[in-house]
Amino acid sequence: MGAHRWGGMVVVGLIAAAGCDPPGKPRPGDDAVRPEQVLDFGKLYAQNCSGCHGADGRLGPAPPLNDPLFLVIVPDAELRRTVAEGRPGTPMPPFDQAKGGPLTAEQVRVLADGIKRRWHPATVSPAAVPAYAAASPATDGESSARGIVVFARACAGCHGDHGQGSDAGAIHDPAFLTLCSDQALRRYVITGRPDLGMPGFSPSFGRPAGFQPLSAQEVEDLSALLASWRKDGTGRSAAAAGTVARGGFPLP
Amino acid sequence: MKRWLRAVGSWFDARLKVREVLLPVLQHPIPRAAAGPKGWFYIFGSASMTLLFLQILTGIGLALVYVPAADQAYQSLQYLNYRQPLGWFLRSVHYWSGSLMVVMVLVHMTQVFLHGAYKYPRELTWVLGVFLLLLTLGLAFSGQVLRWDADAYWGLGVGASMAGRVPVLGPAVVTLLLGGPVIGGDTLSRFFALHVFILPGLLLTVLAAHLWLVLTRGISTPPVPGEKVDPKTYDAAYERELRRGVPFLGEALRKDALFSALVVILVVVLAAVAGPKGPSGLPDPAVQGANPRPDWPFLWTFGLLSLAPPGMETFLMLVFPAFLVLGLLLVPFVSNRGERAPSRRPVAVLTVLVGGVALAVLSYAGATADWSPHMGAWSGAPVPEKVVARSAPRELAGAAVFQNKSCRDCHALEGSGGRRGPDLSGVGARLTRDQLIDQVSNGTPGGGNMPAYGKHVSPAEMDALADFLVALRPAGRPPSRTPTQ
Amino acid sequence: MSEHSSQPPAPEPSTGPPDRRGFLLTTGVCGLAAAAAGVPLVGYFLGALRNRPVEWVTLGPVGKFPVNEARRETFVNPIHQPWDGMAANTACYVRYLGRDEQGQDQFWVFAVNCTHLGCPVTWSPQAGLFLCPCHGGVYYENGEHASGPPPRGLYRYVWRVRDGQLEVQAPHLPTLQDTLDKPSEVVQLGLRTRRPRSDSA
Repeated sequence: MGAHRWGGMVVVGLIAAAGCDPPGKPRPGDDAVRPEQVLDFGKLYAQNCSGCHGADGRLGPAPPLNDPLFLVIVPDAELRRTVAEGRPGTPMPPFDQAKGGPLTAEQVRVLADGIKRRWHPATVSPAAVPAYAAASPATDGESSARGIVVFARACAGCHGDHGQGSDAGAIHDPAFLTLCSDQALRRYVITGRPDLGMPGFSPSFGRPAGFQPLSAQEVEDLSALLASWRKDGTGRSAAAAGTVARGGFPLP
Repeated sequence: MKRWLRAVGSWFDARLKVREVLLPVLQHPIPRAAAGPKGWFYIFGSASMTLLFLQILTGIGLALVYVPAADQAYQSLQYLNYRQPLGWFLRSVHYWSGSLMVVMVLVHMTQVFLHGAYKYPRELTWVLGVFLLLLTLGLAFSGQVLRWDADAYWGLGVGASMAGRVPVLGPAVVTLLLGGPVIGGDTLSRFFALHVFILPGLLLTVLAAHLWLVLTRGISTPPVPGEKVDPKTYDAAYERELRRGVPFLGEALRKDALFSALVVILVVVLAAVAGPKGPSGLPDPAVQGANPRPDWPFLWTFGLLSLAPPGMETFLMLVFPAFLVLGLLLVPFVSNRGERAPSRRPVAVLTVLVGGVALAVLSYAGATADWSPHMGAWSGAPVPEKVVARSAPRELAGAAVFQNKSCRDCHALEGSGGRRGPDLSGVGARLTRDQLIDQVSNGTPGGGNMPAYGKHVSPAEMDALADFLVALRPAGRPPSRTPTQ
Repeated sequence: MSEHSSQPPAPEPSTGPPDRRGFLLTTGVCGLAAAAAGVPLVGYFLGALRNRPVEWVTLGPVGKFPVNEARRETFVNPIHQPWDGMAANTACYVRYLGRDEQGQDQFWVFAVNCTHLGCPVTWSPQAGLFLCPCHGGVYYENGEHASGPPPRGLYRYVWRVRDGQLEVQAPHLPTLQDTLDKPSEVVQLGLRTRRPRSDSA
């Protein structure tokens, strides 16, 4: 190839380069954004929630948010309040700046509303689902006593007769229960943990044939029982820790 | 027409004396061997200079638009990036050309060092070259400041914190460096003056002296093993060499021009493909989450300061650089005679190898910065799903505690998370439950890298956390029973 | 000049070395010129070191701060140039400790600048720690050094309560020898004045 041909190609190349955008040309979208101006749900969720609730809202150590039943029953206001104020005593921290968290009120709203927008099921659920919040927050001895019966019917099969752990992990465990709010216990009773194969209140996978759904009262009683376990135990001794039955489910 | 042109030419030449002054300069004889194939070793200095001129051109171009005021600098950089036609390209060329200039100066110095070209009678040429390196690095740092973003702001904070360690005078040095008690408009104006007037002025002056010495003392011949430099006989021998030399205007200049052109093309391609650097985050100290990093020429200092034991820090910040510069300046006085060929100078070759490897390793360490916590990992790095899937309820609660207490910012799980502390994916097989509880409660013994969490972890949290950590071990491995350390 | 050599040369003015007096005079005038231009120039360059009056910034009513919780506060530093823009913003961490036995409100106010190399620390309320992103310096909630390279605890602002408002002394960039709460060596040299913390209302 002659020098003239090369020269011509360089000139053509330069003209072409001037006309189009080379890969190095900055795009306005690359600009730095103030952290408080990030209002994209995906980004906010990935930065603030995915650590505990999982990258896709499931399979994290914290209760799954990508859970149809949960999203059907949880009131919007409750979701917003929890994101803003956290659940004191549990690993769920407050995220609102007014509570010492990192996010603005607007960002909290985007997050809470976005959870429903992203994962809310298209189909409407049966009306017979127990309410998200307990009717009477105060639990009495009678209720938890009735809970023992419900436990035997709905939980003992996997968690052992006294919740000491069998096929599934131990839940009669002060450390676990202390780090769970009453609301979270109630929610687990209703929704189960579908991402980990734990069934909820209704007949579904993992339930024996002919299983009758838990009534609202039974949900109440069972939650009361679990909450009462939180107070009675002293926890396992450190020496026994290594030998206790290990729980967990295979991935569904 | 031709005659007329020649007449005009002679009229000017009679007054400017170009032919008398410039032609001999261009045609000054150089050693014959330096114009041969070995002449390719002599191209780095002129390439550095070509890049300098490219820097001056693009720098003037940028100065036409850039606003060196703290409240508008960032906006003007955005204007350059998005609005000013080819503004982004000029910024990009300026950045890449500057980067390559640092590289080229270092390569040039390495070549001169390896070929012993700094020996008699070129000691002062080397000394001036050391100052040119320092000025080039000064331009790189001050240029980084003009990119008035979060890195620039906090980089100044780091520089000020180092300067503040100077005994007694530290605070005064900091104030003079910043132009006031805080980092602000005074600081930017100061670094603008440095970058645009003071350092380029000094650089051009020193460069003129450097070139003057290159012309008057000539360039060294390519080294030949066994041909030793002896100040008593060198001048006469070099004189003989020049008498059978060739003019610079010719083969040597052609090599210089060709290589410089290739370097410029490389700069343009890099600029078009990789684009300009920054501006990154806003220069607002009230914005949370700044994670400042120096530009690449200074990554090695970042690495060195981070890896060195804390007791050595002040020494490394203040005394070590002075020693380094002093060492460079003394090179031609420590050895200004004897062998020049690298094959006969193992110490010189070893120095270059060790120095180069050290720079590369420290720069790599500075780029990866494993010692920096990942501040968002606690809420943004998911607990690995397979860990979650196999965990009992108490371990899950422990995993949530692990995230909640920001352990993840320093400890990775399955490779994701901070790397300041060890990856804890298999910790249950290494430490017993009691050891884990002790480590979390009391931190590293003697105030090492891990803080004591005792006061901020409740008994239930500690129980759950310990169970989670004990369960972190390869499938089938029993938990650690005995201390392994 | 040489064309006029036909005439006997006139006695030229002395071409030898200038006499002592002339030399001293010239040197003196040159020295005077250098000083006249140089002294103000040096003074100008050292102007950054001049004394500045102590200024106070209001961070808000005491009631705004919850007891025993660290809060990040941002304010515009009165030490700034009109053209400082965002760089004049400053952040600090405020923790209200409640009232002591004398009924006085007590606070901890920390600078965000890590004492190691000045990077901005982040408060983690759950861990109860300040963490630095650069080299992993860690401080406890009371600002004391917990781990990592920092040579001391966080810098503390000088603060006071006036009319129910928390006020802090406008901060300079704190460094190891020029902290915010202790008069440094330089203050004694008269280069900068910092009033010690004394007047909490």
